[in-house]
Amino acid sequence: MAAARLPALVFAAAMTAYGLLFLAAERERAVGALIVAGAAAVALAARFGLLGKVRTSIAAHEGTFDAAAIAGVLVVALWFHEEHFVLLMMTTALLLMTAALGLTVQFGYAGVVNFAGAAFLGIGCYTAAVLTKYTPVPPLLILPLGGAAAALIGSILIFPVLRTRGHYAALVTIAFGILFKTFIEVNDVLGGPQGMSVGPFALAGHSFNDPIRIGGFEASFYFAYVLAALALLVLAFALVRRLERSWIGLSLDAIRLDEVASACYGLDIARWKVFAFTLGNFLAGCAGALYGHVLGFIAPNNFTFGDSLVLVSIILLGGIGNPWGVVAAAAFVVILPEKFQVIQEYRFALYASLVILVLLFRPVGLLPRALRDYFPGRRHETAP
Amino acid sequence: MSPLLACRALTCRFGGVVALDRVDFSAREGEIVGLIGPNGSGKTTLFNVITGIYRPRDGSVTFAGADVTGARPQAIYRAGITRTFQRSRMCLPLSVFDNIMVGNHKRLSHGLVFNLLRRSAFAAELARSFVEARELLNIFSPRLAERIDEPVAGLPMIDRRRIEICRALISRPRLILLDEPSAGMTHEETRELMDDILVVRERMAGLTIVIIEHEMGVIERITQHCVVLNYGRKISEGTFAAIARDRNVQEAYLGVA
Amino acid sequence: MDITLIGQHVMNGLMLGVMYGLVAVGFTLFFGVLDVIKFSHGDVLTVGAFTALATYLALKAMQVASPWLQLVAISLVAMLAMALLGAAIAKYLVLPLRTAPALNTLLITLMLGTVLREGVRLIFPDGSNPKPFPRLLPGDAFTWGAFTLRVDTLILLVAGVAMIVGVHLVINRTKLGLAIRAVAQDGETAMIMGINFTAVVLTTFAIGSGVAAFAGVMNGLYYNEINFGMGLLLGVFGFSAAVVGGLGNIYGAILGGFLFAGLQTIGAAALPFASAYKDVFALAVLIAIMAWRPTGLIAEKTSERV
Repeated sequence: MAAARLPALVFAAAMTAYGLLFLAAERERAVGALIVAGAAAVALAARFGLLGKVRTSIAAHEGTFDAAAIAGVLVVALWFHEEHFVLLMMTTALLLMTAALGLTVQFGYAGVVNFAGAAFLGIGCYTAAVLTKYTPVPPLLILPLGGAAAALIGSILIFPVLRTRGHYAALVTIAFGILFKTFIEVNDVLGGPQGMSVGPFALAGHSFNDPIRIGGFEASFYFAYVLAALALLVLAFALVRRLERSWIGLSLDAIRLDEVASACYGLDIARWKVFAFTLGNFLAGCAGALYGHVLGFIAPNNFTFGDSLVLVSIILLGGIGNPWGVVAAAAFVVILPEKFQVIQEYRFALYASLVILVLLFRPVGLLPRALRDYFPGRRHETAP
Repeated sequence: MSPLLACRALTCRFGGVVALDRVDFSAREGEIVGLIGPNGSGKTTLFNVITGIYRPRDGSVTFAGADVTGARPQAIYRAGITRTFQRSRMCLPLSVFDNIMVGNHKRLSHGLVFNLLRRSAFAAELARSFVEARELLNIFSPRLAERIDEPVAGLPMIDRRRIEICRALISRPRLILLDEPSAGMTHEETRELMDDILVVRERMAGLTIVIIEHEMGVIERITQHCVVLNYGRKISEGTFAAIARDRNVQEAYLGVA
Repeated sequence: MDITLIGQHVMNGLMLGVMYGLVAVGFTLFFGVLDVIKFSHGDVLTVGAFTALATYLALKAMQVASPWLQLVAISLVAMLAMALLGAAIAKYLVLPLRTAPALNTLLITLMLGTVLREGVRLIFPDGSNPKPFPRLLPGDAFTWGAFTLRVDTLILLVAGVAMIVGVHLVINRTKLGLAIRAVAQDGETAMIMGINFTAVVLTTFAIGSGVAAFAGVMNGLYYNEINFGMGLLLGVFGFSAAVVGGLGNIYGAILGGFLFAGLQTIGAAALPFASAYKDVFALAVLIAIMAWRPTGLIAEKTSERV
């Protein structure tokens, strides 16, 4: 019997409503109450077996759920269409999700560690800054160029990253992340420690830094950025998910889980690791390019080692290898400190502590990755 | 007719230890060859050298007329040699089907465009592969074939060994190296496994098998030819009956009286 | 360039080498004994330095005046405290994850490092800014012609080398060291032979962390300043030194430490735009070495049964 569509839709609607309430909540007590209520709701749902129903419903009607999720984000964006700050938060979250998806391909699928995620994001930002300032390159092209720059510069780390033991890649990416930030700081070519400005993004003649006026509809200029970030995320999400559900995804998993056996069955370990590492950095760079435009002003202090660890924390907390987990964790990581201002100072320590707890007690993360299903919703042709 | 696989004077050292000492080993097409010897005699090392995991210090490996000495494991696989491992190497979080498909690498398309965009072509390849994998599993255990979409982590060791053999067979290799496939199985299960392997061999004409085993009953039953190693050296060769009578072999296993 | 400058550079290089070596020894010990990379090691050094500073402030409040007493006290307190911390880390974070994939231990120690680093920053008053470290060593200097040698530098160097020699002696000449080497060689067999595996692991972590605290105090005494981020770069270079020297090999770790220190000193001396780019150059060299010889100049001990 096919699973019903309803649970998935109800879930999407509930998430949207919850998001609205959460983002609208002003006082910390209200936010705290919402968090407790949310946790209680999840616990109750688990108790009554509803979570399983939602899961099967989503798996069986993925297209529906995807559309509902996108619609939900649009609803929230429209609701807050004049709130600069909320829209900025949403944009940041959406872009971090894209970057974290890149990290998922590297670490979640191929098992390649990367502790320089923020640096690759930063490369995208600075590429956008430089291209907007000095060249007439059309803005839409700047995004993939930011990605390409990140991928290209990342390739200098390829040899140590290809080593079997994870600590080489860890060491080299940590070193690179620090090098990137320090390098930008010590010279003034790219603005030095003060940073440099990034011109506005533009599409079809409309500059994204101008407020939006269509007929009677007025919105903050960030609204356009939310739409752009959402579009980028949708593309990245679709790409990463499709990748996982293919022979490529299988190959990546195989080399992560057992290099020796994979080699004996024809998999070119180096090729796949390079592919994953490059693609991941490309996604981070693209997100970075748009992020630069959104911020309007970037400085090396945005891209520290701590920020790279936040990206790693996102994929560990959300559920390694699960794109939806990344989405949930990124939202959590971006929005929570804004709602509890007191956490701002303790962000790094808080996320690190949470990751430690997760690694000790629930290493799979919040939303564990499901078994590969090449065509969810379709049944296998059974053998005669 | 020249043998399908010919190893000449293979020598393999690890620091001071001589794991293989000028070993000659060959297998003719369609044969089932047994490779036996006490623990540590170099049997798995021989497999590792043939499949390119270790480079031999000396000697050569020829397969189907081509010199494959020191070739990378990927090249060995493409040439048509597959293997199972002494300690079971499975991707535990992945499904049975996925694990078998790892072995099917050379018959699957790995292009970016194919996998990302040409979904109907991919679906067709997936369906074909699924049918093949199921049929193969069915030979070994219809019950296991039912569980083709389950993660391997939840399956008992004997099923994991069967899956490993299917993984080695799915790419229609010319030569398959089985490293103690029946380890951990009861006599009954072992007999069943060997029967199934013989069935597969019927269906894949010309399949050559080299099998490392400790159970002599198995060796006696299914092999046409045996090679005995001890301390990295070949000490005897011939039919099972012949080597069982060989004094050197008896001494190696039981010690000198 | 003139002799004083060269002399200064050489002294700096030696100090740096000793410090990297001390940190690298810790990394290599942990890897040898448990096959783990404890990424929080550099930050343990930071906590050690700050513990020493806190002890000093407490002693001052208690009106203890003698600098030698202060020196001994803060060193001992820092080393002891970090030894306990190291053992606790081993017991509660590293040992429980023995059966999990190796990456998990790497991640958890990396995160722990962040917690330690941020902890120092948040707990110590005005922790985000560098803190002055007391001058507890005599401030005299010897001069031979144009070459000046500060007494405190000499004392630190001697102390550092003595510590390295001390660790070497413990590892190679004591029963404990024998147990550590046995566990590093083959943990299971060591257990069968009656060696208390857990005790040895905890002791190893304690030793490594105590040595890091020592290095932290040295660092503070030499630069007269400490900050909450000092462990990060020291950890990165200490780890690279251990890798380059071959993980598990103590002499390699020390050699690696001096190698990196040497390269950095040469870079600082030779490049005209020195000081600002010091770190950039050092990191670039690290990446280059990793790209060229990632498994180290001396091979790492690995064994994977196929």
